[in-house]
Amino acid sequence: MTELAIKFAGVGKQYRYFTLHNIHLEVPPGQIMGLIGPNGAGKSTTIRILMGLIHQDHGEVRVLDHRMPAEQVAAKWDIGFASEDMRLYDAMTLDWHMRFIRSIYPQWDPAYAQLLLKRFGLLAEQKIRGLSHGQRVKATLLLVLARRPRLLVLDEPTTGLDPVARHEILRELSAVMNDEGRSILFSSHNTQDVEQISDQITFIDRGRIIDSMDKEAYLDRWRRLRLEAPSGIELPALPGVINIRQTGRLAVATSNEFVPGIARAYEQSGARIQMIENMTLEEIFVAKVEHSREEVEA
Amino acid sequence: MESGVLISQSDKRPIYLQIIEQIKRRIAVEDWTEGQPIPSIRQLAVDLQVSVITVKRAYLELEREGVIVTQQGRGSRVASTPGLGLRLHQEELQQHLEQAVRLSALLGIKPTELESRLREAGANITEKETS
Amino acid sequence: MKGSVVWTLILSDLHRHRTFILFSILSGGLALVLIQVGGELPSLLGTIWFFTGMIVLGCMLPGSNVINERKKQTLPFLMSLPMSISQFTAAKIVSTFGIFFVPWLTLVITAVAFIAGHKGIPHGIIPVVIVLSTFVFVGFGLNAGAALVTESEGVMVASMIVTNSSYGFGWYMLARNPAIGAGMKSPVIVWSKEILTVLGAEFAVIVLILGLTFYFQSRKRDFV
Repeated sequence: MTELAIKFAGVGKQYRYFTLHNIHLEVPPGQIMGLIGPNGAGKSTTIRILMGLIHQDHGEVRVLDHRMPAEQVAAKWDIGFASEDMRLYDAMTLDWHMRFIRSIYPQWDPAYAQLLLKRFGLLAEQKIRGLSHGQRVKATLLLVLARRPRLLVLDEPTTGLDPVARHEILRELSAVMNDEGRSILFSSHNTQDVEQISDQITFIDRGRIIDSMDKEAYLDRWRRLRLEAPSGIELPALPGVINIRQTGRLAVATSNEFVPGIARAYEQSGARIQMIENMTLEEIFVAKVEHSREEVEA
Repeated sequence: MESGVLISQSDKRPIYLQIIEQIKRRIAVEDWTEGQPIPSIRQLAVDLQVSVITVKRAYLELEREGVIVTQQGRGSRVASTPGLGLRLHQEELQQHLEQAVRLSALLGIKPTELESRLREAGANITEKETS
Repeated sequence: MKGSVVWTLILSDLHRHRTFILFSILSGGLALVLIQVGGELPSLLGTIWFFTGMIVLGCMLPGSNVINERKKQTLPFLMSLPMSISQFTAAKIVSTFGIFFVPWLTLVITAVAFIAGHKGIPHGIIPVVIVLSTFVFVGFGLNAGAALVTESEGVMVASMIVTNSSYGFGWYMLARNPAIGAGMKSPVIVWSKEILTVLGAEFAVIVLILGLTFYFQSRKRDFV
């Protein structure tokens, strides 16, 4: 299988107060892509266009080699979708929903469904309105996971969950990777989850894709350098360093394109390097957004 | 198969480095012997709940260092070089020593002072073990 | 394969409203029991109760089956199913009208049978009961059509106000017609020209509403 699981080419959508610009996205099969960005950046819009629920104004969208939105019915047979604003029928039981999904999708795996009930600590006879927030999210994901769809599209799957529930869900999402043919795209505010299980990370801000790349390569580009600058030393502005914060004799430099040459340049200017640290995705995320906001204001 | 690898969230180092270190340690203590098959990239990724690409990076690095061997379609195994375990133990020691030198340089401690500190540390350990 | 998604959706909507349906039928049945008890007041109350139950069902249903999908946020769940928007809207039209039709038809048949078996009520009233019941169906059809097409709670409520206000007026106009009024008291069923005209007009309006609803729904391109 060589065709991409997801392909966005030059996709755009115009709303009155918001525009999605020129979205390019490629997810090969067998990969997990994490979508991160501030609120209102366009993650949910992108996901809805992906599901064929919104028509793009221009650009091509192909999901599991189906053109979207024209071929959305065919595509949706193999896609499992769950979004944070999605609710199940309050008055019905989880079992009712399981039978509902089972009657539509032939790939429903009843044994796996039972296993998930146990792992997630859910009772099938319970009505949805009696479930806590975390249980409801897990119930929704169970309905999606038990079908073993080729593509999982999840909008905020772990938001608002306690650590145990988060772990349970990450475990099942990781297990999807046992099958090389299955892929996941998920958006999340939880940068730790994205950092942990994503193969690729895509960064959206204000309707544009800012970065989309291999997670390891992306994390590797960023460093935080802790410097000691004796008084009187002027720390040089270096390419690849987007931010320097100096308090007294200590300074912290943030680099988004780190090469060892940067460390050498600081040392040559008279500063001493105390530590060069990797940054977490959350720290990168905040630094990135703050930097791009500053650039706009300048 | 049980990988026994555990990713610590409090460990600030990148996950792929933790994986590399723990696999090397397993080999160093001879839990995994030369030529023994190890979990495939995908298996380990699922087991650790980390991305495939992270495990791939760790495995590529390990292969580059001659610690493991990966064959397309046949999975990965510990390299068959004799004395691999011992060599890894030595490398780990070397790393610790270099780290000690770096730290003492930061503190302004000269190498000669470091030597006597090392002897001191040895004496402390002997004392703790015999008491 | 694809047809069964639509069918599953229709059946699931019916199943979710099974209490609704049961309750409506029981309520209508109780109204008839009240009439059976006899006496002017119980009969009057029973008659009002009978039609009110039908009207209430016709008002609650579009809210529960249509507006609630957006309000209770179950719409994304349905939108992720393998069906097109036209299949979805068709399923909703069928299920909404179906959930009303089942108890409505049951009640009409039960009422007709009840009157036919009751010695004290002139059979001539049967056509009037059918016409009045169908009038409620028309009212429901308007509310349902408005809710389905506009997906707006406000428009649906406005429609309900209009239809509810019109019942009294409609029944008054019906009773005022001398031919119909006379037919009502007859011991046998009389299908007068006037009553057939009204019934025909009602069915025509229902068909028109259904047709327009299907037409406007088919023009929708986006789920969102």
